[in-house]
Amino acid sequence: MSKMRYSRRSLLKGGAAAFAASALPAPMIWAQEIKDVTLRQFGTGVSNLNEVAQKVKEDLGFTLEMTALDSDAVTQRAATQPDSFDIADIEYWICKKVWPTGNLQAMDTSKILNYDKIVGIFRNGKLTPDSVIAQGTAPHSVGFTSGPGGTDFVAEESGWMTLIPTIYNADTLGIRPDLIGRPIDTWAELLNPEFKGKASILDISSIGIMDMAMVCEAMGEIAYGDKGNMTTEEIDKTFAIFTEAKKAGQFRAFWKTFDESVNLMASGEVVIQSMWSPAITAVKSQGIPCVYQPLKEGYRSWGGGIGLSKNLSGIALDAAYEYINWYLSGWVGGFLMRQGYYSAVPETSKEFMSADEWGYWFEGKPAAGDILSPTGQKLAGAGDLRDGGAFGDRMGKVACWNAVMDENQYMVRKWNEFIAA
Amino acid sequence: MDRFLKSPNVTGWLLAAPLSVVLAVFLILPIILIVIVSFWTATEFSIVPAFSFENYRFLFGSAVTWSVFLNTFKYAVITWAITLGLGFTIAYFLAFHVRSQGWQTALFLLCTIPFWTSNIIRMISWIPFLGRNGIANSTLISWGVIDAPLEWLLFSDFSVILAFVHLYTLFMVVPIFNTMMRIDRSLLEAANDAGASGFQTLVNVILPLTKSGIMIGSIFVVTLVMGDFITVRFMSGSQSANVGRLISNDIALLQYPSAAATAVVLLATVLITIGVLLRLVDIRKEL
Amino acid sequence: MDPRPRSFYVLATVFGLFLLFLYGPTLTIAILSFQGPNGGLTFPMRGVSLHWFRDLFQEQAVGDIWGGFRRSILLGLMVMVTTVVVSVMGGLAFRKRFVGAGVLFQLVIASLVIPSILVSLGVGLMFSQGGLGVHWATSGFGAQLTWTLPFGLLIMFAVFNRFDPAFEEAARDQGASPWQTIRHVVLPIIAPSLIGVALFGFTLSYDEFARTLLTAGSYNTLPLEIYGMTTNVTTPVIFALGTMTTVFSLIVIASFLLAVRVMDRRRARAGSDAGKGV
Repeated sequence: MSKMRYSRRSLLKGGAAAFAASALPAPMIWAQEIKDVTLRQFGTGVSNLNEVAQKVKEDLGFTLEMTALDSDAVTQRAATQPDSFDIADIEYWICKKVWPTGNLQAMDTSKILNYDKIVGIFRNGKLTPDSVIAQGTAPHSVGFTSGPGGTDFVAEESGWMTLIPTIYNADTLGIRPDLIGRPIDTWAELLNPEFKGKASILDISSIGIMDMAMVCEAMGEIAYGDKGNMTTEEIDKTFAIFTEAKKAGQFRAFWKTFDESVNLMASGEVVIQSMWSPAITAVKSQGIPCVYQPLKEGYRSWGGGIGLSKNLSGIALDAAYEYINWYLSGWVGGFLMRQGYYSAVPETSKEFMSADEWGYWFEGKPAAGDILSPTGQKLAGAGDLRDGGAFGDRMGKVACWNAVMDENQYMVRKWNEFIAA
Repeated sequence: MDRFLKSPNVTGWLLAAPLSVVLAVFLILPIILIVIVSFWTATEFSIVPAFSFENYRFLFGSAVTWSVFLNTFKYAVITWAITLGLGFTIAYFLAFHVRSQGWQTALFLLCTIPFWTSNIIRMISWIPFLGRNGIANSTLISWGVIDAPLEWLLFSDFSVILAFVHLYTLFMVVPIFNTMMRIDRSLLEAANDAGASGFQTLVNVILPLTKSGIMIGSIFVVTLVMGDFITVRFMSGSQSANVGRLISNDIALLQYPSAAATAVVLLATVLITIGVLLRLVDIRKEL
Repeated sequence: MDPRPRSFYVLATVFGLFLLFLYGPTLTIAILSFQGPNGGLTFPMRGVSLHWFRDLFQEQAVGDIWGGFRRSILLGLMVMVTTVVVSVMGGLAFRKRFVGAGVLFQLVIASLVIPSILVSLGVGLMFSQGGLGVHWATSGFGAQLTWTLPFGLLIMFAVFNRFDPAFEEAARDQGASPWQTIRHVVLPIIAPSLIGVALFGFTLSYDEFARTLLTAGSYNTLPLEIYGMTTNVTTPVIFALGTMTTVFSLIVIASFLLAVRVMDRRRARAGSDAGKGV
């Protein structure tokens, strides 16, 4: 058996198409065996969707078990319970924390069929050759390691990836235009006393601190050296500003997962808050106006990818590579792009979206007809434009990436104090 | 040999062995471990065996810690006072005013039914009730009682305590009801015959006799509130903190040693509080 | 019968309001679970339908409700059986005055009052530091026992405090061995209370959240799943789940009560037989 497996693996290595290989008689047996494989994946509710698991069963034959958790629980499990998963669906800043534990194994890019089509952000950090790399933990900086077994990060494309990028987006503030009734164009509005008791921020330290920094910088209160790597003094100042606002009753609540933000926004408890793209989609699909407001200071961006547990080997590892190749082959990308995210390999996703969907979500063109959510609710009508416009406009205006800084532990303690204050 | 087996020490420990093993493995060992870990340090992603007072130094050095402990006590005391008043009244009504045993059982069961719905679901169902556009506010507005929605109904100390009272009053009712049912009714008649008013009977006869039930109920309520971390998070919209949240935040951020240090302090606080309460009552005799 | 005193009506009103307060959320959940297909988590109702109950039986976007349900039932049963057996043994043990009983009792009380998150943290740490994987059936099971056993034991204390030792003496006088005394005299007498212990054990485990949070490992129990849903679900399906779990709990209680009834009746019959013999 193992011989057949290896022969197939070398086929893959040789770049032969995965689907052609399965037509050969020998891998037919292998294909039977792979059906018994069960891979346990966990991650945030953002992309750990059962529909993906169903499609995997349909297309690839093996079973994918999905567990959805919040970001902190995800970090915790990836760092402390390596036996509890096979595939980790995590964000790049989490990777910066988790990779050095050695719980994940490096992935051979030569086995990734669409590697060359992955957008530049995840390879050399540049969207276009002349882009400037934003502050924070940019995905490419923690995307590669020195080789199999490596627990370090290397700057160049070494052929060994820590995470295979899957989705990413540029985040900004979400607003209820009907309840605000005037244009919003800067991050500073989050702390505007006009929205006292009607603002919210997310309670995930590594992400929340970046939103805070965007606000403080926009208010002109603090000039950061590097928002993605603050000094303790900058951290103190940032928290001082937000603690004061908190005590003055600026915030209605803090949220931890994007669905909480949906409920806050949809019920009108909050009119301006940090928000993620699918949350906007979800609010809109309830028929409530909600805008993902582009702001003049730019976006705070994040990227997610899948990593493999160090315990994966043999046929399960083969199945995992097959899964990764499938992930990048377009169906998932299209599925996620319809919720407002971007796929790491946009061109493959294009085939799984209608021309109108592609135009609306990716190219920033006016919708020709109704744009529907993956569950069939209407999100936009003819002539509507995506907030923020085209892919290049949105991802081109990233001011910083979600980050883990050198002073992270200090920041975390301060964050804890802020929440408790 | 036979005598050996008949010794109460041997049979006693043999019978208590499973209990002791469970408590040793799942209570004592973990707590020892927490104490040890509380002296360790942590990096970003792992805990480092070391010996350091750093966690405690940070804990006691931070003004936030003190205010959070104070807040925890505040929740515990207010919730305790309300659940005690409410629980005593309910138990008194059931024990002395409902005359047939059938009715007593029926009403008692009626009180317990809501406790079979998941705690978390019961908690979040307050949100559509108390929210800015919730039932409470819209009702009050439609009645003309208020003009603008009351903001403090949700995501406030009020909503936290409301949820606590809702979740834990039964823990007060049950033990008080239990002790009330054991009061010899002839005592009440005697008090009545001696010319005591209903109120005098309540204060001088019933209250002292239900002391143990009150204590047991208080122990439940106080420990449940002090150890809580989820009610406060949901009902305050993450805006207020108690010690449990401090610990769970640390855990979420992988700061196990710091979480362990906070846990040790919380443990000591709870044990001291309960120790004081236990001074006042012998649980074993009073059940 | 005496006329009701005025205080009765005052107290009855308080009791009524208390019930309203208790049932408020349960009823809110029940009503909202019948939201129309386009309804949200809050009022107003947009139509009335069984949509969300149907939805409950289909796969959700995230999570695995029925897997959680299955695991919770299984874990509940494991905890229930263990709690009954261990508490009865413990209850019997404490009737003997053995050296160290006091300390063990203090420990039981400690187990009852220790904040659940501490147990969760400690047991989780122990398993992960010890290189054993956390799993709901091992670490989760043990963590829950630290909560159900004290309850079981306290109920056993209450039972044995009311237990008349004359029955045992009589059995001994008839030449019954200690085991026979327990098997044929003590256990049948305390059987109805054991059902109470079992009910407590099962439901405390079935609804336990904090103690399983850090000890469940890869697979969620139902409360953990519900917790996940509160953060991942934006539709009334979660209320439908709440209504379903309440109904399920009512069925469990009803069957326990039925068991008590049947047992009582059987005993009554056995008792009446006694006189008719010979």
